[in-house]
Amino acid sequence: MKEVKLFLGPQHPGMHGNYSVHMYVDGDMINKARPTPGFLHRGFEKVMERRLWMGNLALIPRICVVEPDINEMVYAMGIEALSGIEVPERAHWIRMMVLELGRLAIHMMGLGGIGGPTGMYTATYWGIAQRDLILDLFEKLTGARIYHMYIVPGGVRKDLPENFLEDVLKVVDDLEKKLPEFEQLILKHPIIHARIKDNIMLPAEVVWELGVTGIGMRSATGVQNDLRKVKPYARYDQVEFDVPTGTYSDGLSRMNIKYAEMFQSIRIIRQIIEKMPKSGPVRAKMSTGSALRWTVPAGMVYTAVESSRGEYGYFIVSDGGEYPYRIAVRGASFAQGLLGIEKYLPGHRIDDASLWMDTMGVCSPEIDR
Amino acid sequence: MTNSMNSYKEHFQKLLNVEIKDSPADMQLIIDVNSDKFHQTLIALRTDGFRQLSILTCIDWIELNKFQLVAILMNWDTGMHLLVRTLLDRDNPDFHTITSIYPGAIYYEREIFEFFGVHFKGNPTYDKPLFLERWDAMPPLRKDFDPQAYSDSKFPKREHPHVFKAQVVEEIK
Amino acid sequence: MSQEIKKDDRKLWEVVGDYFRANSIWMKWYCTGCGAIEMPPTMTSRFDMEQLGMGPMATPRQADVLLITGYLSTKTLRRVIYSYEQMQDPKYIVGFGSCTLNGGIYYDSYATINQLDKYLPVDLYIAGCMPRPEAIMNSFGELIEMIKRGEAKGWKHYQENYDWYKENQMYSLGEVMIHDEFHE
Repeated sequence: MKEVKLFLGPQHPGMHGNYSVHMYVDGDMINKARPTPGFLHRGFEKVMERRLWMGNLALIPRICVVEPDINEMVYAMGIEALSGIEVPERAHWIRMMVLELGRLAIHMMGLGGIGGPTGMYTATYWGIAQRDLILDLFEKLTGARIYHMYIVPGGVRKDLPENFLEDVLKVVDDLEKKLPEFEQLILKHPIIHARIKDNIMLPAEVVWELGVTGIGMRSATGVQNDLRKVKPYARYDQVEFDVPTGTYSDGLSRMNIKYAEMFQSIRIIRQIIEKMPKSGPVRAKMSTGSALRWTVPAGMVYTAVESSRGEYGYFIVSDGGEYPYRIAVRGASFAQGLLGIEKYLPGHRIDDASLWMDTMGVCSPEIDR
Repeated sequence: MTNSMNSYKEHFQKLLNVEIKDSPADMQLIIDVNSDKFHQTLIALRTDGFRQLSILTCIDWIELNKFQLVAILMNWDTGMHLLVRTLLDRDNPDFHTITSIYPGAIYYEREIFEFFGVHFKGNPTYDKPLFLERWDAMPPLRKDFDPQAYSDSKFPKREHPHVFKAQVVEEIK
Repeated sequence: MSQEIKKDDRKLWEVVGDYFRANSIWMKWYCTGCGAIEMPPTMTSRFDMEQLGMGPMATPRQADVLLITGYLSTKTLRRVIYSYEQMQDPKYIVGFGSCTLNGGIYYDSYATINQLDKYLPVDLYIAGCMPRPEAIMNSFGELIEMIKRGEAKGWKHYQENYDWYKENQMYSLGEVMIHDEFHE
């Protein structure tokens, strides 16, 4: 059969965001594939050098659109490490709660999102609606649905509003009750099984070659490689949780791990509400004088947190001035989104391209920056 | 610096035969090497357990007229991050690829060429455009590139009848 | 748009066509930027876009409205122009957020354009960064009214001023041609 050149995306309903894969196909088998990033390239790393340390707070959440809180967290952690600020105890716990709520939201979107490429739109309708309840919590906490700008260097922007913890418990209880229904609908559904079971594999030895982290790594190697366990930040060393792993990484097992992680996030949130100090300051002062004129001592530091897709890090360089000298972003899905597509998509079918991106969690804005 | 960090530091000093001065954060060390020893260091560290390349990136020190390549490695068993740095000549930024050591670096190298103009010999695709399409100016992340001027010259702005501009006034004591 | 025609100069069949068109709009599913993250809630059960008779459409050739959901990098703008020119008349463009208006937070970025209506005719802008689902729903209601009144004439403007638009596109983009990633 003749080989045909095919541009999959960026304008394609099965494509995962504004992203494209150029491929040579034979029938519907992929022979060669090349990822095409850069549609969402905004020149963040340059623009960040032109903003004050404070001004960057508005910019950084926009790097990863679906999970913005991790950006604020790594940025704050980096500045705190460079300038040696101690974050108040209560702020650590609030940060953890925001991060775990964010993880629930993106996993909800991931569970629903698998409905797009597989054509099972009920999953999308359920997942997105459930995620909106978490966004309502964010709205109550920060005033915004998507970009919160809540975690700032030195702590969090403001203390919790009244009765917020009760609302969180209510949403979390509701979610926990409904999750088994999601399992019935999505993870045990024959359509999903037919599409992602024993398909789009990630062998364990490939993990190191690509540099895949997060769920992709844990589902293949069976090791609990989670930054929250390996290198605890905030107060993750004071809460108990399991890290679900697997040794056979097909699409379905990765979805199952996502599902299992949601229960762990809920468990963490419950412990946070129990163990959190009931009062106290939530924000340490960065420096004296105008907030616009923060300076950060010269030096460089790499900070990383565990996002839903793996190790998400910022490499921050300061020359002691009012502006960052350089900030490099390690997008968590850089490995699976670029080299992963080039090397491991050939031999699959066209429709598996978006399934790989969905189950591995490829987030195009953080690759492009 | 804690005791465990000191023992790590000694371990790496012995392993790599370099002096380690800086530790920007807990479980993080900065290792400065010469550019001809960069690959050797990475191989030694990879066999020592640093199996993951977290990011390969570059800094433009325009006043020193140098580029600084930084490879951040991670050991998942200990949670240690290492920042391996080397300086390159800014006028003639040639380097050899590290894809034979860390295959995942192939796209980072393409990115660094695109944003800084560092050449990576041995990587067959390093000079192909990745994020930018039809780029017609100097590599954009160099410090002497002015994005405002580029944006003004290429992308017309909306003309507003009034211009509102923020201004920093002297603080009131 | 500069030469907005206030007078309703539509023929009868156009008025009738616009009336029916307004009640069944297919939205093209192309997420060009951040704002796309608020589209799933708008489309699904909570805000339920279908109550306005709108639904997502997979291909540009069957779609009526193109949503520019946020900033446009030059690389995306090339594809957007391709997609827009594939769409059949009448077609409408809704620009989301401050980035399409004046570059927004990326005003000094080397990769993103600053003003969308230099390159494509925009019928309606939504303010905000990013617009909330309520704002999006509200704007869709407004778009429907505009179509009924015959005010959404961006596509006619594009036809009449095709050279001006092309000139602007070439000035900022160099070429609108799309090459593949194999570099052959």
